[in-house]
Amino acid sequence: MAASKCTQLTAALSRQLLDSVDCVLFDCDGVIWRGDQAIPGAPEVISSLKKNGKRVFFVTNNSTKTQQMYADKLGKLGFDVTADEVFGTAYCSAVYLKNVCQLDGKVYLIGSNAMRQELEDVGIRPVGVGPDPVSGVQKDWANVPLDKEVQAVLVGFDEHFSYMKLNRALQYLCNPDCQFVGTNTDTRLPLEGGKAVPGTGCLLSAVETAAQRQAQVVGKPSNFMFECVASQFGLDPERCLMVGDRLDTDIMLGSNCGLKTLLTLTGVSTVAEAEANQKSECPQQQKMVPDYYIDSIADILPALQA
Amino acid sequence: MAGAAVGGRGCVTLRGAQIRDLLDAKHDVLFDCDGVIWNGETAVTGAPEVVSLLKQRGKRVFFVTNNCTRPRENYVQKFSRLGFTDVAEEEIFSSAYCSAAYLRDVARLQGKVYVIGCGGVMKELRDAGVPVAEEEDAEPGASIYTCPLDPDVKAVLVGYDENFTFMKLAKACCYLRSSECLFLATDPDPWHPLRGGRVTPGSGSLTAALETASSRKATVIGKPSRFMFDCISSQFGLDPARSLMIGDRLETDVLFGSNCGLATVLTLTGVSTLQEALAFRDSQEPQQKHCAPDYVMESVADILQALEE
Repeated sequence: MAASKCTQLTAALSRQLLDSVDCVLFDCDGVIWRGDQAIPGAPEVISSLKKNGKRVFFVTNNSTKTQQMYADKLGKLGFDVTADEVFGTAYCSAVYLKNVCQLDGKVYLIGSNAMRQELEDVGIRPVGVGPDPVSGVQKDWANVPLDKEVQAVLVGFDEHFSYMKLNRALQYLCNPDCQFVGTNTDTRLPLEGGKAVPGTGCLLSAVETAAQRQAQVVGKPSNFMFECVASQFGLDPERCLMVGDRLDTDIMLGSNCGLKTLLTLTGVSTVAEAEANQKSECPQQQKMVPDYYIDSIADILPALQA
Repeated sequence: MAGAAVGGRGCVTLRGAQIRDLLDAKHDVLFDCDGVIWNGETAVTGAPEVVSLLKQRGKRVFFVTNNCTRPRENYVQKFSRLGFTDVAEEEIFSSAYCSAAYLRDVARLQGKVYVIGCGGVMKELRDAGVPVAEEEDAEPGASIYTCPLDPDVKAVLVGYDENFTFMKLAKACCYLRSSECLFLATDPDPWHPLRGGRVTPGSGSLTAALETASSRKATVIGKPSRFMFDCISSQFGLDPARSLMIGDRLETDVLFGSNCGLATVLTLTGVSTLQEALAFRDSQEPQQKHCAPDYVMESVADILQALEE
């Protein structure tokens, strides 16, 4: 545990911190972009880090894009990244099902086309994507035909979520051997245009309640998101910095994996919340205290370019 | 004996004379429906005769169900179809009927209610004179960012809805952003049993989605919440000490009885088992102990045998 925590990252401390790490992992929304706009200075920070010999990765709970789709979005916003540097939950869930769940068959998928694609790319066959309107009467629903090759149910963000999909997931999950995985528990999508859009966490709540079972969750703050990157690229946690805007996902992940942590104030969490966690007696809340905080990641640019 | 024992309700299996003694002490009998007096479209053997016999002996009989899919008039037809000869609409209390009563009489709603629910709920709301926000057909390309919100909505009611969609969830969540907007759920049942041991998602699962989306807790009308008992009592004047609750689901029917100070009977023709009841009885947690019934019967038909002896 660091001797001091929740310290403002001054220019001098920036230099020191950057020298102590070889790799920087960034959350995306609220850190390097907001909606469809890059945070000013963020693209330059990424380029500078790379010029300084640091490896850079992006770790996001969003399940609606493949690695390539993220690389395309980042490219359009002026970031210089490659697809293999971006770890969203569509990709990570596919890896999780393949490597951790040891899946060798089909998965019933409540999720996006991006999730379907990432699953197919690792050799898992998804069923169920797309609209699924109700038909027939109640007694038909308990008897929907089940694909015997389905070995798991995977729940991610799905704008086509419906009673029928909830019902199918429940029927599969009545079999205790059927595995149950969720991409993330975020309750809302990042605010766009002022309306709060329900997030994957809501859909997962519905399925967990109906099935009376708990899902294995892939996304932050689960360690798997870091382990997925670390195992592919050989990272040393002590030489890694996690940069995020949410105490309960990004900073918690960093604490759990033994990374250094930096909270940026361009997103959800505030310094006041971090300090309240710091004063708390609760061990869980203590994990949601960053080592450092900064107004925006653009503020480390001077230290990088010096 | 009225069940108010602290720390350990009996799970006593009742037979013959014991059932007669229990009934002698009670004036009103509340029955759950699914798994107690019928299963799907089949009456539990002896149940119609039990209801008639209790009434002949001067007891009042009420039906208390979390099933919100039918309006009361449909329930009357179902009772008749299954051989229950003298059940009146006034004796039937469903979570749909009680949700409408709550909005009209307790919340005294000034405005409209946005409903995630089925035909049964809509009918009860209309019959109670509670205005419902109209659901416009989704235009192609409509999204949560562009769909109109009704400024008159002052309450959200969520229940079983086979037409549940992401859009409905998102709209309800928008309405709930105002702390003045009431948040009600018809019942908490996570799943409903169908014939052959199968299940289908219940109101509780849809409520969980909306609670997570809104970071708010719903006020639940159905069992095990007290409201349905208060609703019956406001119309018929019930004395808990002289009332008996008979159900098949420990976490809803028995806990409901417990919450209202009623003696409780678990019948084994539905969802919960004797082993589950004993586990609740022997639990250290107070909330779990309240799910253990005072008495257990194989079936409501046991009452018939007891009364005819």
